[in-house]
Amino acid sequence: MLTVILQQGINGVVVGSLYVLVALGLTLIYGVLVQINFAHADIVTLGAFTAYFVTHLFSGNYFAGIAAALIVGAILGWLVNAVIFAPLRERANELLPLIATIGVSITLQNVMLVLLGPIPYAFDTPYSNNVIRFGGIFLTMQSVLIIMMSTIAIGLLYAFMKFTILGKALRAVSQDRETAALMGINPNQLIMLAFVIASALAGMSGAMLGPVLVLTPFAGTTVIVKAFAIVIIGGFGNVEGTIIAGLIVGLIESYTTQFLDPGLIDIVVFALLLLMLAVRPTGLIAEKREENV
Amino acid sequence: MTPLFAAEGLELAYGQVPACRNISFHVEEGEVVTLIGANGAGKSTTLRAVAGALIPRAGSMRFHGRDITRLRPDERTNLGIALVPEGRHVFPFLTVRENLELGGFKFRKESTRVRTLIEQMFAMFPRLRARASQNAGTLSGGEQQMLVLGRAMMSEPRLLCLDEPSLGLAPLVVQDIFRTIRSINAAGTSVLLVEQNARYALETASRGYVLQTGSIIVSGSCSALKQDERVHQAYLGRAAVAAGSQVPVSP
Ligand SMILES: Nc1ncnc2c1ncn2[C@@H]1O[C@H](COP(=O)(O)OP(=O)(O)O)[C@@H](O)[C@H]1O
Ligand SMILES: [Mg+2]
Repeated sequence: MLTVILQQGINGVVVGSLYVLVALGLTLIYGVLVQINFAHADIVTLGAFTAYFVTHLFSGNYFAGIAAALIVGAILGWLVNAVIFAPLRERANELLPLIATIGVSITLQNVMLVLLGPIPYAFDTPYSNNVIRFGGIFLTMQSVLIIMMSTIAIGLLYAFMKFTILGKALRAVSQDRETAALMGINPNQLIMLAFVIASALAGMSGAMLGPVLVLTPFAGTTVIVKAFAIVIIGGFGNVEGTIIAGLIVGLIESYTTQFLDPGLIDIVVFALLLLMLAVRPTGLIAEKREENV
Repeated sequence: MTPLFAAEGLELAYGQVPACRNISFHVEEGEVVTLIGANGAGKSTTLRAVAGALIPRAGSMRFHGRDITRLRPDERTNLGIALVPEGRHVFPFLTVRENLELGGFKFRKESTRVRTLIEQMFAMFPRLRARASQNAGTLSGGEQQMLVLGRAMMSEPRLLCLDEPSLGLAPLVVQDIFRTIRSINAAGTSVLLVEQNARYALETASRGYVLQTGSIIVSGSCSALKQDERVHQAYLGRAAVAAGSQVPVSP
């Protein structure tokens, strides 16, 4: 029993850490823009396919695949902002970009459907069948790799936001865009930076989700639904909250699969979401706004 | 000699709603100039235009003789214009030190210069040093006002624009803030000061402009303005002074 709990706990952390990467991107963009990018899901999918093809192209070099997915993600993020968000921002309409990204998302999915077909791709990396055993617990090298890579990515993002002047400027833009501009910060450049970072993370997590998920042109959509839940549970724009919520959702997913029924995953996650909205609408870690005297 | 800053015939509006008409004024190198006027007269709107946060519908602005009418706020900051906005606007979830660091964003490639500047700000406001690693949102109103003053000075501005620095602060703190403003000016920075507390403003500045419902109705040296009947009645009566210094006025 204990081994089952531990085994599923590890599986939950593996998937959860990838959800965290996706959700952090959504949170980052929401933070600077108070906008949601629905095409984020398809950047995850395209990251997965990029990694799939590049890994095959480089005769099984999975790291080349991950790097390519990261770069493709960054470019897509740049494009989505340059083509959709930046021009529409000039018109100060809040709903237009949201609807436009839904349109982009549907278009991308259908283009992929035509090019790649509806049949799931079997994405096995050189590490998928490489199993390590600790007593009764089994761990693939792929899982170890995922946990390592996402920990590094989250750590780098955290250090960037915390210690570099551009990271501090990003946080300033999130807190008060107009005042940030008075500091000599060009908010448009920082918003672009947020898109590029968020989408690079999405592409990279796609590369690592590819072998875990059923890889079809719609793979990202199932992930993004959970990422939205994570962002809300963690408190919009809150990095620590997002990390904790992502791991919780990953754990819920693996324990629900083990002890209840895989079909119940979404129900359990959204029950938690509703509970959170009722009990703590500001998210897990509420930022304290002290009164200004 | 060309003035440090000059605005010519500014027409300012929020969307279709006009806020200020035909605003012309200038600030000479080394001067403290004040814009006074009642709540809603258009003082903050005018300062926003100076900082580039609001692009005028008509009129022009020059800085060091250069046309800056269409420049973005960040470009103006890089040229040497800093604005301390009304209501302070610290970055509440950044520490005091991080707030100062961002004030010096244009020097971000010169880390020693930023460190030296932060030390200067701590020397000017010792209370900030004690709170350096605290989130700015946790500071008192007076401390926040010191922080935003220091943050603006981090960009080594030639023109410092202050929007209601005394708003909602206790009288002793207000005295402190104005003493600091005078010493900043004495060290060579020109100041454009917006205040409801006209008494303090007229004592600190050398010249002033009086705004009423979006237009400049009087201007001149502060000693002349103090004698002006309209200024006297509107802003320097007992009631007005009490209101200006005690009651926090909503923006
Ligand atoms: N963001 C805004 N949107 C629309 N109208 C505004 C805005 N800010 C100020 N105004 C209007 O512009 C006029 C001048 O306001 P303001 O410049 O804030 O006055 P003051 O700073 O002198 O109190 C007022 O009529 C005010 O209602
Ligand atoms: Mg005002």
